Amino acid sequence: MAGALLTVQDLRVGFLTEQGLVRAVEGVSFDLEPGQTLGVVGESGSGKSVTAKALMNLLPSYAQVGGTVDFDGRDMFAMAASREKHFWGVEMTMVFQDPMTSLNPVKKVGEQIAESLRVHLGRSRRDALAEAGDLLEQVGIPEPGARLTQYPHELSGGLRQRVVIAMALACGPRLLIADEPTTALDVTVQKHILDLLDDLRRARGMAMILITHDLGVVKGRADEVMVMYAGHTMEEAPTTTLFAEMRHPYTEALLETIPRIDTPSHTRLVPIPGRPPEVIEVLDGCPFAPRCRYSIARCLTNQPDLTSHGAGHLCACHAPVGTPSGTQARSANESAGTTATGLDMDQFTRNVPVADPGQSGAEG
Amino acid sequence: MAGSGTAHLRGHDEMVLRVENLVMEFPAGHHQVVHAVSDVSFDIRRGETLGIVGESGCGKSTTARAIVQLPPPTSGRVVLDPGTDRETELTALVGEDLRQVRPRLQMIFQDPISSLNPRRRVRDIVGEGLHIWAEESDDERIRARVDEVLEAVGIDPTVAANRRPHEFSGGQCQRISIARAVVLEPEILICDEPVSALDVSVQAQILNLLEEMKLRYGLTLVFIGHDLSVVRNVSDRVIVMYLGKVCEVGGADALYSAPAHPYTRVLLASAPEPASTVDGSEAAIGDEIPSPMDPPSGCRFRTRCPRADDRCTTEEPILRTLDDDHFVACHYPTAAGPSGA
Repeated sequence: MAGALLTVQDLRVGFLTEQGLVRAVEGVSFDLEPGQTLGVVGESGSGKSVTAKALMNLLPSYAQVGGTVDFDGRDMFAMAASREKHFWGVEMTMVFQDPMTSLNPVKKVGEQIAESLRVHLGRSRRDALAEAGDLLEQVGIPEPGARLTQYPHELSGGLRQRVVIAMALACGPRLLIADEPTTALDVTVQKHILDLLDDLRRARGMAMILITHDLGVVKGRADEVMVMYAGHTMEEAPTTTLFAEMRHPYTEALLETIPRIDTPSHTRLVPIPGRPPEVIEVLDGCPFAPRCRYSIARCLTNQPDLTSHGAGHLCACHAPVGTPSGTQARSANESAGTTATGLDMDQFTRNVPVADPGQSGAEG
Repeated sequence: MAGSGTAHLRGHDEMVLRVENLVMEFPAGHHQVVHAVSDVSFDIRRGETLGIVGESGCGKSTTARAIVQLPPPTSGRVVLDPGTDRETELTALVGEDLRQVRPRLQMIFQDPISSLNPRRRVRDIVGEGLHIWAEESDDERIRARVDEVLEAVGIDPTVAANRRPHEFSGGQCQRISIARAVVLEPEILICDEPVSALDVSVQAQILNLLEEMKLRYGLTLVFIGHDLSVVRNVSDRVIVMYLGKVCEVGGADALYSAPAHPYTRVLLASAPEPASTVDGSEAAIGDEIPSPMDPPSGCRFRTRCPRADDRCTTEEPILRTLDDDHFVACHYPTAAGPSGA
């Protein structure tokens, strides 16, 4: 796409382990335009964090990486290690989940922020520290002057994450990758950090990739959402489209299985049976098929390709939700009482659950 | 936030547990004291699920542990079967007497993998309590009972019983933890963040399983959580805690549909998808939680509260009735209620 800041094509990442090749990311492609936010949603093992690290070229050397990552006309994988150093922080930067492990515990907060300003932008020590103070103010830290001389352990979790954000933004990057930036924080602080990221992104015209396991976090914050499962992109769409007309059964299942704050207590949750797959074996069919209410025979043998379902809406499914083939597949499964992968359809609808020793093998 | 007060206690009818004026303090060195739980009271009706919700450091886990006397509280009473001839005051028991009561209360924890002994087989983990409490060694009966409970939690005993915890996923380990807890037929099951470490697609399975176990074994649940939606889903009654005190108590649906305490409203507004009963802007409060070593005077929430005034600094709000089974500890609650102070 013309004008894209970041273009990822057919990204593949594998790790060779004793058990075999772990295919952590399998053919992920997307574009990100300047100033836009992409939400990447997935569970543990979905490949969302590995994707982020691959974009930054932060993966360990034993990772087997394929595909291309193009940042503003530059091929990230072809970049020399010596140039990479001047790329991180200045062009592209990252905020991680746990603020304590991203900060150096024996260095003062101000010096940690000033360091990147001195290294990348050649500021003098004094200028860099003054700028660090301004940055702390921008990320909403009270008494920024006093904080500069504090150590990370003197700050609360929320303040630490603000410091990490200040560090990430110090050199004015054009892309910020936030990998579960609020998962380790309390709910009241979580909202403040997400709002802060959004405000800063807007003020600086920066692009952002927001990685999370929580669909609620990307709702209203991301322009586009990509749902990942077992290393594959299952569905990608503009955020409002995704929530209004989701096509992938996994997206639908995720939304239905999470308790809502406004639903009365003791509302029975629609479970997703089984658990996320080990990404070691090579799958012929769709990775979600064994847990899917819509699965048909084809799901077991042919991996679905991403197909278009309207403007910017891609979905990889043989029987998408809300389409004739999906409706037909689900009602056929319901009348048969089982899916193509042998999943008991009863468990989705029954009200008072009864223990069923017959399917005790499958679950999480 | 006050937490002190007992207006929300409900007499003795059918109550299985009553906690009165629970205080938990820990020495922090340099003559300082961590006030983890300060004067908290509540009761639980038989067959009810009590949710305790709050952020880290609010004392919810400490409260749960104090119920099972791990460790015993600094002061306060924990009474089983209050007001009946079976009344047992846990806080008055020590040694063998306390040990004899323990099977009636069981716990499951947040991290399912670390709460199972990695070197033991599933059959031995689940059966240990039975072996300890069996009148005489009756291996056949214990074996059958373990199989039955494993099946009830959705684990196939023929496949799983001889395996060790590392061969199972987090969700399966949590099922095994639940089996270990219910095998002794406890009256009260205390669940301390039981789904926080699980993937969202597995969370619903465990929540549904807990409901199922509750019906099947006639359990009373105490459910500790930080996720407001999850706590509402499982609970009949909810306690909101902040910095060692109770803010608000009420029936789950009443409390969520008419949140009265400013802190409850902040929590509901801060959720990734805010509750419809509050305005998203109500989440705008300071991030800094005061130190539990030096909690604020008066109302402990006042340093972050948008409504706080001088009265909140000097006078601690006491829990008072707002509505039928809805209580709040605030001088300026949202809903119109009888002025308690």
